[in-house]
This record gives sequence, structure tokens and C-alpha cells, in this order.
Amino acid sequence: MATSVREKQTVALKRMLNFNTPPLKNTAAEPVWKVLIYDRFGQDIISPLLSVKELRDMGITLHLLLHSDRDPIPDVPAIYFLMPTEENIDRICQDLRSQLYESYYLNFISAISRSKLEDIASAALTANAVSQVTKVFDQYLNFITLEDDMFILCHQNKELISYHAINRADIQDTDMEAIMDTIVDSLFCFFVTLGAVPIIRCPRGNAAEMVAVKLDKKLRENLRDARNSLFTGDSMAAGQFSFQRPLLVLADRNMDMATPLHHTWTYQALIHDVLDFHLNRVLMDEGGGTDPSHTGARPKKKTKKMYDLTAADKFWQKHKGSPFPEVAESVQEELDAYRAQEDEVKRLKSIMGLDGEDEGAISMLSDNTAKLTSAVSSLPELLEKKRLIDLHTNVATAVLDHIKSRKLDVYFEYEEKLMSKSTTDKSLLDIISDPDAGTPEDKMRLFLIHYITAQQVTSESDLEQYRKALLDTGCDLSPLNYIKQWKAFTKMASTPANYGNSGVKPLGLFSRVMNTGSQFVMEGVKNLVLKQHNLPVTRILDNLMEMKSHPETDDYRYFDPKMLRGSESSIPRNKNPFQEAIVFVVGGGNYIEYQNLVDYAKSKPGRKVVYGCSELFNAAQFMKQLSQLGQK
Amino acid sequence: MTWRFVYSAAAGPSDMAVDITLLFKASVKTVKTRNKAIGVNVDSVKDEVFKKSRPKSGFSLRAKEVITNITKLKDFLLQHRKDYVSAGSLISTDLSRMTDSERDQIDQDAQIFMRTCSEAIKQLRNEVEKRATSAQIREHRVAVLDLIEMYLKGVCRLYSEQRAIRVKRMVDKKRLSRLTPEHPGKAEKTMDSEPAEEKVVKEESSEKNVSEVQDNSVNLWEEGRVEDELSPEEIQMFEQENQKLVSEMNSLVDEVRQIEGKVVEISRLQEIFAEKVLHQESDIDNIHQLVVGATENVKEGNEDIREAIKNNAGFRVWILFFLVMCSFSLLFLDWPSQLHEVIDFAAVPLPMQALSAFEHGGGCMMLVVCFDVSGVRKED
Repeated sequence: MATSVREKQTVALKRMLNFNTPPLKNTAAEPVWKVLIYDRFGQDIISPLLSVKELRDMGITLHLLLHSDRDPIPDVPAIYFLMPTEENIDRICQDLRSQLYESYYLNFISAISRSKLEDIASAALTANAVSQVTKVFDQYLNFITLEDDMFILCHQNKELISYHAINRADIQDTDMEAIMDTIVDSLFCFFVTLGAVPIIRCPRGNAAEMVAVKLDKKLRENLRDARNSLFTGDSMAAGQFSFQRPLLVLADRNMDMATPLHHTWTYQALIHDVLDFHLNRVLMDEGGGTDPSHTGARPKKKTKKMYDLTAADKFWQKHKGSPFPEVAESVQEELDAYRAQEDEVKRLKSIMGLDGEDEGAISMLSDNTAKLTSAVSSLPELLEKKRLIDLHTNVATAVLDHIKSRKLDVYFEYEEKLMSKSTTDKSLLDIISDPDAGTPEDKMRLFLIHYITAQQVTSESDLEQYRKALLDTGCDLSPLNYIKQWKAFTKMASTPANYGNSGVKPLGLFSRVMNTGSQFVMEGVKNLVLKQHNLPVTRILDNLMEMKSHPETDDYRYFDPKMLRGSESSIPRNKNPFQEAIVFVVGGGNYIEYQNLVDYAKSKPGRKVVYGCSELFNAAQFMKQLSQLGQK
Repeated sequence: MTWRFVYSAAAGPSDMAVDITLLFKASVKTVKTRNKAIGVNVDSVKDEVFKKSRPKSGFSLRAKEVITNITKLKDFLLQHRKDYVSAGSLISTDLSRMTDSERDQIDQDAQIFMRTCSEAIKQLRNEVEKRATSAQIREHRVAVLDLIEMYLKGVCRLYSEQRAIRVKRMVDKKRLSRLTPEHPGKAEKTMDSEPAEEKVVKEESSEKNVSEVQDNSVNLWEEGRVEDELSPEEIQMFEQENQKLVSEMNSLVDEVRQIEGKVVEISRLQEIFAEKVLHQESDIDNIHQLVVGATENVKEGNEDIREAIKNNAGFRVWILFFLVMCSFSLLFLDWPSQLHEVIDFAAVPLPMQALSAFEHGGGCMMLVVCFDVSGVRKED
């Protein structure tokens, strides 16, 4: 897997946009124009990968939503990219009947059924447009890749496969089947795009196991069908041999409920937690009301600004996993470097001005010509850099405002201590009853983490105390009911998850001294340093990849779709450690786990870890789901 | 336990998407047969023929024409590129040789072509603006024209690259051909004694060819001079001069190379600047308009102020006149009664006379005062 999943998906998309022929490298090729029609699923898949400019370069003149009003544009081929649902098929038939475009290239995100295909065929016949339907493809791209090594299943209808949907008390079998089918379909598409058949391991007794069983069956069926198998590579000679198959670890959210509620300290996870961050796009209010320097002045108009955090943004790629103070420093450094370059260019201007007075200045002129050339050619880069620096300054300032107002650093430190079972200096009750430390939601999160990670059961009187304190601050207590249920359930099943030895070591001497020259005056915000620690998911992955024996993972089931006969055993046939792994969390995941896995992969050279989840939520959204569950 | 190899292509990924067009066509056939069985009337054949001859919109036809033209130009340029760029080596075969006039012709033709293409694009753009079609179609057409323009720019870049190389070589040739008439005798000797050094010094094949040619021609010339005897001192002197010449030429060549590089850089810079200047042209036009409007406004303003001053002065005159009139009227309003007064004056006692005289005097004073004031005023 030298190319990442994201690149593979991008390549597949580009090929599709080129009428399903491989794109030529010829730069001065004739332009061919086309129109792209997608539904919301397609839009979510394309938007993190290709920008509008790239679409234009590929000849897409218009990109429209399927269910919008579209005018007929004759003589233009149209490329459709959508899910094969009933309403989409109906709309396609309608388009065929109204003769909107010249030729139609239909691409379905996941496999379309025969009956739906016949629906389209009959519509095409009645409209006499059969010759216009030039190509029909099953693209198998039913997942959204956010980063090089992270993917989620869907963004549009995620309530259907959310944690709440899976763990509802009143769930029917049919509903569960439907949810499982959706998840398995997407995972199947993922492996088709990857081009590899994994070895699957999953724990027993929960949703992950159901997914594993179904996925195994689907892969097996596909492999047996030699004619239509998607996994036989035709390019055997030119292909890259990977001697090992990747390992797919299916985890369930119920194994580790504390991590989604955790307060975080790394840049990307903070943005996701605190700001509005979807599909690599941040939505912010400009001129925020929490700006203290503007008291008394005319209140600024709140305009929504949208920022894209893409792979091309080098600063983002470097720092998305670093702790926040580091990010603040780096932004400052980048700004200084940029100013220095700007001054250079300005100085050049003055030199050129003086040059006319100098005679015999051929050598100086030539030197300056070279400098001028380099300056002029570097101008676009400089402008781009400036834009990125502005972007990150705004985003980081917004995050910092939130941190300061909600005292998130205090929460983070406390939670880390809770999760590592080290002693805490402040009591939980103090923090909860502290009026200006965080929103009620933060306090609820903290309390839930305490409850989840407590070794011995909290006594009833303590619980009552906490309850009263929480109600005083205005928290909603329904998540607590659900967590109690959950805890009881998991206690029956196994020992509670061990969060490993982590530690948070505040830079004691420097905790109050901040970067004096920095714009980010982080007074009162502790400069915390994260020590390397492993979340439960990471530890499980570590055990499985290294084939270590551990009571937690020994009981995991083992599936190998390539084996002729399925076995019920959990004894792995392959004794060697794996080099590539894919971790998929059924029920939802978040950036904290992702970051942890990335750090783990970095610490072990030669390992590649890809993280996936059925949906991506931040703590607020998770709390909402928990309260819904707790209200039953 | 067996190893399983998984082939995953690196550069050219295997077709992960499944082409189900054939499946679709099969379903079409199924539906057709089903319809026939049910008896649904589908009048397919005739309508298909009609549908095929659907009118294509004028816009797309013309756009496609422009593209084919640009492609023709590109092919033409690429085809003749080798000949065009070749240094005009005089000893190579005649087939690939191009005279300068031919090259100029190509240049001219290409420029005219490019200009017509860009004008066609501009025309299409204006049409798109004028025609009131739906927003989507307009956006689509604008984007199509952008794509065509980019394509044209790419082809123009090809052309300008070729031209730059040609100009460079011409400049080199000129410089070199200048050297030979300056040192006819020495040059001949230099060619004779150090052909190897020449080859090392002059990298470009053009120069080599030129020197070889000169070698040949000079050798011919030299054969005619075989009878001249050269004494050993003369030979030594010539040799020294040769050395000097070689070093001079070396430094010249270095300088030439340097300047070459600079010229290329400058041309590149100029391209960039020209682009930027063109961009700013529209802004400057706007500013010009605004400035013109502003000067006109200022002029009008000045006029208005002048008018106002004049009106003000005239106004003052009228006020003065009014006051004078008022005072005169005051004085002479009781003209008839004054007559009576004079008659009665004698009958009235003295103090009363003085009082009435004062009254009249007051009136005269007022008149005098007014005149003073008006005098002052008129001096203003």
C-alpha cells in the first residue's frame, strides 16, 4: 500500500471524471467539457478530495446537485455520481425523459441492483434515449476519506448508523440488519478500492462481531465468483507485491466510552471539539463576541467564514497532531519567517530604484536580475503562505478563546489523571461546583469520565452529592442513566478498560510564563506536555498486530475470507506480526483516537495504520446521543 | 499456513469500478421483450432517426470549431518544430533546412492565427453575455470559453518558446560571424592550429558548424597562398598572437553565455510583467474615468462659486439701493406737509422750531450716514 487510500480514491474519481478512461499526462490536450451531477452522498465524497479548481482543470464546467432544478444543456455529456436509491433512480429517469443532456455516464457509488437497472432501462426506452446512455459503472466508492489514513462511512444520514441507532433499547432485528448491511457495504467498497483482502479480528458478543461475520461472508462470496471477482488484479506484472495482507480490527464503541467524552489538547481534535468542523471544513463566526478589546465599540457584524483545511496546507499537515501551545508558537514562527521574506522583496525594490544611478553596474544588474526573478516567481508562494498563516491565526485564536473561557486545560489535566488512575489534587466536587470553569456540558463530561473510570463503585451518598451539584449547574442527567446501564452490562462481560499509564506533566516552572512576544497570550493557560499514552483501542491494536498474548484480545474471533472453509476458532493461522492494519470502530469514533493511532504508528517504524469509523462525532454530539438513550 | 500474494497495482490501478454497461444493455433488451409481450406500443425506430438529427446549438459548434483550429495550429507548430529550431547548419541536408524567410513566414502566420482565435473567443464571450439564456447555461458557456482560452495559451507558449530559441541562436550566429571579418589572417591561423581547442571552447553545434565551414572556406583560401614563406620569428609571433586571441575569445564566450542567460531571464520577467500590466489595465482605465469625472466636477464647482460671488455682489447693490430709497422716502414722504410746516413755522415758538429743524436735520443726517456707508460698502 504505497499509495494511501486517499490517493487511490482520488485517482478513481479522476478516472471517472475522464469518462472512465485513464487520464492522459499530455498537458496541452484538447479540452473536453462536461457537466457533473451528484447527490449529497457524492458531494461528501468528492469535496474533501477535489477542489473546484481541480474540477475545472478536468473540464467540468458545471457541478450540480441531482435534486435541484436543472436546465437542459444540449451537446454536453453529463457524468452522474450517486447512490442507487429509489428517488435518485426516479430523477435519472425524469432527466432521460426531458432530454437534458447529450450523453449520460452513470456512476453508482455502490453496486446497483438488477431491478433498478431495469427501471432505468425502461425509462430510457420510453424516452428513446438508450443510445445516449453511454456508460454505466459501479464505482465502489461508498466511503469518505478525510485524511491519508482516516475514513468515515457517511456524513449525510449518519443518524441511521449512529451509536444511538445501534444501541437503542427498542431496536428491531430488521433495523439492525439494515444498519449492518450499510456498514458492511461501505467496508466492502473500502477494501475493493484498497485492492486487498484483509484478515479480520473482532471481539465477541457485540455489534462488531455481527459486522465481521457479514463482511467475511460478502468477501468470501465475491472471491469465489471467479468471473466477477473484484480482487483479481490484471496488472500482475506491473503490480506491487505486498507480501502481507492487512489486518482489520473491528472494535465497538462500547469498549471505550470515556475517550469520546475526553477533553483534548491537540490541534485537530480541539478544532473538532470546540468549533464547527465537518469534512475538513471549519465554519467560524468572524468578529466573535468574546473579543474583550471591543467592549463599548460598535459590535462587529458576525459573518460566517469558511476555511478548508486540506492536504496541501503544509502547516496543517505538520501540526494537526501537536499540542496546542506548540501550534501557537509555530504560527508565530511562520509569521516571522513570512515577514522576513516580505522585507527581502521590499528591499529589492529599493535596490532597483538606486540602480539607475550606478554606471558600469552590469554585474550588479545581473545579480539583481537573478534576485528579481526569484522574488517575482516566489510572490505567488508568499501570497499563499500569507493566506494560510491568516487562516491558522484566526482558527487558533478562536480555539484559544474557547479554552480560556471554559478553562479546558484544567479539565484536560484532571481527566488525564482520572484516566491514568493517578492521584488528583483537586476534588471532583470542587471543579463541578466552580461556576466559571466551563459549560455544564464540560462538567457532565468530566463526571461521566470519573464514573466510567472509577475502580470501585461510587457510593450512593457520593452519587447523590454529585447529582445535586450537577443539577445546580444546570446539567442534564439523562446520559448518566445510560452510562450506569452500560457500566453494569460491561462489568458482567469483562474487566473495565484499562487506560494505561499516562501522565500529564505540566511544565512546572513555565506554567505561568508565556511567550512574551507571541500574539497568543496564553496567560493562565497551563503549558501542558502530553506523555505518550495508549488508549484502549491502540493497545488492542498493538496486541493483535504483534501477536502478543493478552487476556483481553485472546478471545477475539479470527476470520480469513480467503480460506476455503470458514472456521469458528480464534486461533490465528498466521504467526507473523502484521505490518499494515485498519482499525474500524463500529458506533462512532473521533480525532483523539485517530491521533493516538497516528502517534503509535510513528513510534513503530514500518507500520501503517488506517483509522475508520462509522461516524465522526465530537463530545457534544455524543452526549446528545447518550441523553437520548438515557431518556428511554 | 500459506503466503497469499495480493497484487495491488501502484502506478496504474486495476479497474476497481465495474463496467456494467453490457448489463444495462442486456436489461434494455429484457425490457423490450417484456414490453412486446405485454403489448406496449413503443414507436422506437422512427423516433430514433428523428432524434439523431437534433439541432446542435450554434454555440457549441463554433466552440468546437475554434478548438479544432487551435489543434491544427498546434500540430503545425510541432511538425515544423525540428526544422524551425535547427540552427541552420549549412552542411546538413537540404530537406530539413529552412530559410529565414520561411521562418518569418511561419511566425507571421502563427501570430495571425492566434489573433483570429482569440478574437473568435472574445466574440463568443460577447454573444454569451448578450443572449438571455438561463443562468446555468451561461455559466457553462463561460467555463467552456475559459477552457478554450487556457488551451490557446498553452499553444501560444509552445510558439513563444520556439521563437525564443530561434532568436537566441540568431543572436549567437551574428556575434560569431562578426569575429571572422575582424581577424581574417589570425582567424585562419587559429583555425589551423587549434581546431581541437575550438571544439572544446564552443559547445553549441551551430558554432562548430560555422567554424568548420569557415575552416573549409579558409582552407580553400589558404591553398591559394601556399607559396608564401613564413620565417620562424613570424611563426612565433603569430603563435603568441594566437594564444592571446584564444584567451580573448574565451572571455568573450563566457560573457556571451552570461548575457544569454540574463536575456532569457529578462524575457521571462517581461512576460510576467506584461501579464500583470494587462491585468491592471482595466483597473487603470477605471481610475482614469473616475479622475476625468472628478476634474469635471471640480470645474463645475468653480463655476458655481463664481456665480455665487457675483450674485452676492449684485445682492449687496440691491440692498444698498433699497436703503437709499427708504431714506429718501422717509425724507420726502411728508413733502406736502413740509410746505404747510414752513408756512406754520413762523407762527410756532422758537424751541418748537428748533425741534422740527432737528427732525429734518436728523433725516439729512441719516442720508449722509447712508452715503458714507454706501461709500464704504462700495469700497469693499
